Amino acid sequence: MEWLLWFTQFENTKPLALVIFFTVFCGILFYVYGSKQRGSKLESYKQIPLLDDEHVKEKQS
Amino acid sequence: MATAATSAPINEQYNYDIVRKFTIMTLVWGAIGMFVGVYIASELAFPFLNFDNPYITFGRLRPVHTGAVIFGFGGSALFATSYYVVQRTCQARLLSDGMASFTFWGWQTVIVCAALGNMMGYSQGREYAEMEWPIDLLILVVWVTYLIIFVGTLMKRKQPHIYVANWFYLAFILATALLHVFNNLSVPVELFSMKSYSLFSGAQDAMTQWWYGHNAVGFFLTAAFLGMMYYFVPKQAGRPVYSYRLSIIHFWAIIFLYMWAGSHHLHWTAIPDWTSTLAATFSIMLLLPSWGGMINGILTLSGAWDKLRTDPIMRFLIVALSFYGMSTFEGPMMSLKDVNALSHYTDWTIGHVHSGALGWVAMITFGSLYHLVPRLWNTQMFSLRLINVHFWLATIGVLLYITAMWISGIMQGLMWRAFDDYGNLQYAFVESVAAAHPFYIMRAVGGAFFLAGMILMCYNVYRTIRQGSTETQAELAPAAA
Amino acid sequence: MKHDKIERNLGILAILTMLAISAGGMVEIVPLFFIKETVEKVEGVRPYTPLELRGRDIYIREGCYLCHSQMIRPFRDEALRYGHYSLAAESKYDHPFQWGSKRTGPDLARVGNKYSNEWQTQHLIAPRSLVPQSVMPNYPWLIKNALDYSDIQKRMLALRTTGVPYSNSQAEYERNVTEFGADVAKQLHIPDAEKNLIGQEQLNNYDGKADQVTEMDALVSYLQVLGTMVDFKKYADDEFVKYR
Repeated sequence: MEWLLWFTQFENTKPLALVIFFTVFCGILFYVYGSKQRGSKLESYKQIPLLDDEHVKEKQS
Repeated sequence: MATAATSAPINEQYNYDIVRKFTIMTLVWGAIGMFVGVYIASELAFPFLNFDNPYITFGRLRPVHTGAVIFGFGGSALFATSYYVVQRTCQARLLSDGMASFTFWGWQTVIVCAALGNMMGYSQGREYAEMEWPIDLLILVVWVTYLIIFVGTLMKRKQPHIYVANWFYLAFILATALLHVFNNLSVPVELFSMKSYSLFSGAQDAMTQWWYGHNAVGFFLTAAFLGMMYYFVPKQAGRPVYSYRLSIIHFWAIIFLYMWAGSHHLHWTAIPDWTSTLAATFSIMLLLPSWGGMINGILTLSGAWDKLRTDPIMRFLIVALSFYGMSTFEGPMMSLKDVNALSHYTDWTIGHVHSGALGWVAMITFGSLYHLVPRLWNTQMFSLRLINVHFWLATIGVLLYITAMWISGIMQGLMWRAFDDYGNLQYAFVESVAAAHPFYIMRAVGGAFFLAGMILMCYNVYRTIRQGSTETQAELAPAAA
Repeated sequence: MKHDKIERNLGILAILTMLAISAGGMVEIVPLFFIKETVEKVEGVRPYTPLELRGRDIYIREGCYLCHSQMIRPFRDEALRYGHYSLAAESKYDHPFQWGSKRTGPDLARVGNKYSNEWQTQHLIAPRSLVPQSVMPNYPWLIKNALDYSDIQKRMLALRTTGVPYSNSQAEYERNVTEFGADVAKQLHIPDAEKNLIGQEQLNNYDGKADQVTEMDALVSYLQVLGTMVDFKKYADDEFVKYR
């Protein structure tokens, strides 16, 4: 378990955390803007708040 | 546009009753909390107003003010809108009416007990968390119930996708639970004593408290109200949010970055320097998602800018976003250690808080509630003109308030550090107190303007409710904006 | 099938959110445990006596921390106005900390012994009789109210639970004698709390009313000890820089 001590040093964990978080951020960016198809799917969700009135009406009629 | 459905099915489909209750209490606590605010502001301008009465001295009323506006006004507004938004965007009824009702009565009990307790002198001595341990426990129970209702309703949703506003609300509920628990760890004197001592001390306690204090602003007063923004701005504008993808980035960036910035409230104090520096760095980075969110909200209106002229509700929402942008610029600037050396401990901080609290939190709430109230009571707002008057009262009030605090804050900072030609301090402390006097009056006047607008809103909503009904026929249903 | 996926999404959303909001907190909280080791080694800092402790409770009850800080920053003007900058060690027995965030009135971290007991008492009763421009409320009830010290032992026991070295046994008492010296150790002994509290009041008679222990006695005794525990003459000017 000696290797665990490596994480107790801030000079090790700080750059490590930076790399992890930066990678995750790039991952999110890629997920969101990487593909046109996925992009337009995501953008379609923005209609959700505007759908609800219609939805109620449909159910009634 | 299509009118909302008749109310009988609506009342079956959604639990609007709980939303109505919280909406009314939002207005009640807003009026009370802001009145106390104006009163304590006047006490600082004219100390005779303390009337040698222990229950209404500044030191005891100040937590009453912060508690009533943050948890009473802000909290009730968040309960009301989150219950409304989660039902409407999931097309599902709340998980349980009984539990929802419990959160209402529980939360109101919390606010009343906290206010009375503070006046009687029960205080933990931690800013924005003055409530003593029995109240803290009740808050915890209410909050867990809230979380269960919210998550349970999300699980019942008919929409496969969870709309982004709900993400913000969810993050707010989770973060508030986390902050509340860790900041209030304390040892009561005995089982039936209202007094407790915090578990941590000194520097550790300071770090915990400002981790809480900062993120209460970040999640309670920012993230949650962004959730409100992501629903009510598109609804009122009648068009979808500018970019859904930007809102995803906005969400992850803001909830991640906020938590790191807490110790910028402790610059130059007895905590290690590296924590300050780290916090300042993250505070600067925080500017990006904050402005991303602001731009996303404002650009929702692109192509329909004329609404700003014609629709006072829209004006509330957009001006709220502008104040949000302004105070999220001011905040990172004040977190720079050199600026902070001047601004900390002065009225500038108070001005900054209020440009966020009045300009952003209260304005976005007003706009959202003006949108919400006619829909809850199946009618139109009693008077659009009064909304317009409210808008101007509120705007003038905020501007007076923050201008007064900028001037007095910067003046205090400069006077405290001024030296004469011989290298001695130029001013006694009390000279800075005397110099602030005119600005304390100006601040109280600004607050009074804001309060007047709040009371006007109460009247307007009261008349709206009188003319509306909770079980109305279709012809009274509102024309959806 | 579809429903499963949806529920999983919500779970993932909640978990990722928790991760994102915990990361910053962890980095801020974990070092708290390291700070314990980096608090300055400095002589003189001791827990409050029973009377001072009750005074501190009243300080918190009245919300003094909302207008007065207890944290002097390392600037030249603050050194001239208030004294040596505050050390972390000086508030290590403060549950909760009272550093404050606003100076509507001046900093109080080193107000101890700057003014006489008579001045403090009069100033609390009617601040504007001494400082005409002051905006502080009057606190006339402090000198009228008898101090309630019925639960002083329970208060000290609660603080002992949080780690403040009040002694409740002979062994703990002797440990305190080694750590703080016999005079201080006696004051920290819980079974003698009432006796010590009354004794300190009779010795100093902070409020000028000899017949009664008032809330004023307690509060003034607290104010008079603020910032006086460390004798900075014993240390070189740059002694504490390495801890920052």
